[in-house]
Amino acid sequence: MAYKILYIEDNPDNRLLVKRSLEARGFLFLGATNGVEGIDMVEAHQPDVILLDINLPDIDGYEVAKRLRDNRTPYSLYVPIIAVTANALKGDAEKALAAGCNIYMSKPINIRELWARVEACLPGS
Amino acid sequence: MSYLSHLQCSDCGRIYDAQVIQTFCPDCQSPLLARYDLVTARQELDRDAFTRRQTGMWRWHELLPVHNPVNMLTLGEGDAPLLHLPRLEQELGLTNLYVKEEGQNPTGSFKARGLSSAISKARELGITKVVIPTAGNAGGAMAAYAARGGLQAYIFMPKDTPQANIEESRIAGATVILINGLISEAAGMAGEKARVEGWFDVSTFKEPYRAEGKKIMGYEIAEAFGWELPDVLIYPTGGGTGLVGMWKAFDELETLGWLKNSKRPRLVAIQAEGCAPFVRAFEKGSPFCDFWLNAHTIAAGLRVPKSFADQLVLRDLVQSNGTALSVSDSDILKSQRHLASIEGIFAAPEGAATLAGLEKLVQDGWVKSDEKIILFNTGTGLKYLKEAISPQPSIVI
Repeated sequence: MAYKILYIEDNPDNRLLVKRSLEARGFLFLGATNGVEGIDMVEAHQPDVILLDINLPDIDGYEVAKRLRDNRTPYSLYVPIIAVTANALKGDAEKALAAGCNIYMSKPINIRELWARVEACLPGS
Repeated sequence: MSYLSHLQCSDCGRIYDAQVIQTFCPDCQSPLLARYDLVTARQELDRDAFTRRQTGMWRWHELLPVHNPVNMLTLGEGDAPLLHLPRLEQELGLTNLYVKEEGQNPTGSFKARGLSSAISKARELGITKVVIPTAGNAGGAMAAYAARGGLQAYIFMPKDTPQANIEESRIAGATVILINGLISEAAGMAGEKARVEGWFDVSTFKEPYRAEGKKIMGYEIAEAFGWELPDVLIYPTGGGTGLVGMWKAFDELETLGWLKNSKRPRLVAIQAEGCAPFVRAFEKGSPFCDFWLNAHTIAAGLRVPKSFADQLVLRDLVQSNGTALSVSDSDILKSQRHLASIEGIFAAPEGAATLAGLEKLVQDGWVKSDEKIILFNTGTGLKYLKEAISPQPSIVI
C-alpha cells in the first residue's frame, strides 16, 4: 500500500508540482489549502508524512505544527512534519523547528531533495 | 557571435529555449545551465587568437551567452591578475602558490563577472527591471551593470551588510531594501516581489547566466598555465556559482580540445565555521545541504544557509576528488592581516578564508609541496574596513 503524504499549502501551483512529483514516485498525495483543513485531514487520514507550508491564509504553519504536537496522541507526537517555506521572514527555519517540525526546506522545492527528505522519514529508511 | 545553443536542466536534463526568458527548471526546480554548440566552435575557433585580443571577460564572447555586441555591458571586468605568492610559498613549504586577485574587478569583487553576463543577457532579452538578494557585493555589481544598461535595479540585503555595498548600490541608482535577516530571507522577499511586480529575479542560479561570467575564471586560469590546469583550486563558497562555473569551463575546454591533457584540479570549498552547510553535507556524503540554522560569520559572502545550487556544488566537489572545510572567523581575520602584510594583498574576509583553509590543508598533508595551488581572493578588503582590524597603530604627527 502506498504511503500517504499530506501537503498543506494554499498556493495551487506549488500543490500541483508536489502532487505530480510525489505521485510519480508512487506516493498517495493528499492536499489541504489552509491550516484548519490540514489539521482535519491529519486526523481523518493519518498521513505518513506531512509537508507544511508556513505562510497559510488562516493559522500559520507554526500554529499547525504546534496544535498537532499538542494533541499528544502517539501518532501526532511522532508523525514527521517537513516545513516548506519561501523563507521570507527572519528565523523561519528556527521557528519551524521550535514549533515541532522535524525538517526545514526552503522554496523553490527541489524535487530530488523532496523525494529524499520524504523517503528518509518513512519506515525502513 | 555567441555559440549559445540552448539551456539544459542540470538535474533532469530537459532542454529549454535560450531565445526567451528562463529562470530555473519548472519540472524539478533545479538550475539551468547554458549550452553551446561546441562541436562547431571547436572547428571554427582558434584558441590562441583569444590571447591576442584586448583583455577582459568579453574577449571570450563566443563562449558567453550574449549575441549582440551592443548588449555586452562592460566596466572592464575579467582578466584579474594571477599573482605568484613567493613569500607565503616559502613560509608554507610550497613551491607553486598563486592568488587569483578578483578584488581588482570593477565594483571590487568577482561578482562583476556574473552580473556583467547576467544583466547583459537580461537586456538582450528585453528585461527592464531586475531584483537580487545579496550579502553585499552582488548588489553593488548588479547596480553598476544595471545602470550601465539602463535597467532598474532592486536590491534586498541584510541590514548589517557592509556600508560600502549599500552606498555603491544606492549611488548607482538602485532601490535598496535593507532587511532584518540573512540572504536566505532576502531571497524569499526578492522572489516574492519578483512574482508580484514582474521583476526579473537574478538570484544565484535562479537564472542561467551569472555562472557564465564566473566560468571565465576557469578559461583564464587554463590560459595562464599554458592550457594545463593546476592541481588545487581553493575557493570561498557561499552560493558556489564560481566553483560550478569553473568546473563547467573545464568541461567546455575539454570538449573544445583546448587542454593539453585531461588533468583536472581538485576543488576545495572553504566556508566559515558559523555557516558551513557544504562542509557538513560533504562530510556526511549527502547529495544536498541541510539549511544551516543561526548562520553567522564576519565573511558576509559566506553567510549563505543553503545554496540553490547545493547539489551541483557537491557533485563537482566529489567529481574533482576535492574537499570542503571550514575556518573560524578569528583565523579569517588573522589570514587577512597576514596576506596583506606578507604579500601586500588586502583581501576580503572571504578571500582571506582561503589562506586559512590552505594552512589547514598543508598541516593535514592534503596538498603536496610541489602542487600548483590557486587561492581565490573574491573581493577587495577595502569594502570591509569595519571588520579588518590592523595590529599597527597609526603614527600621528
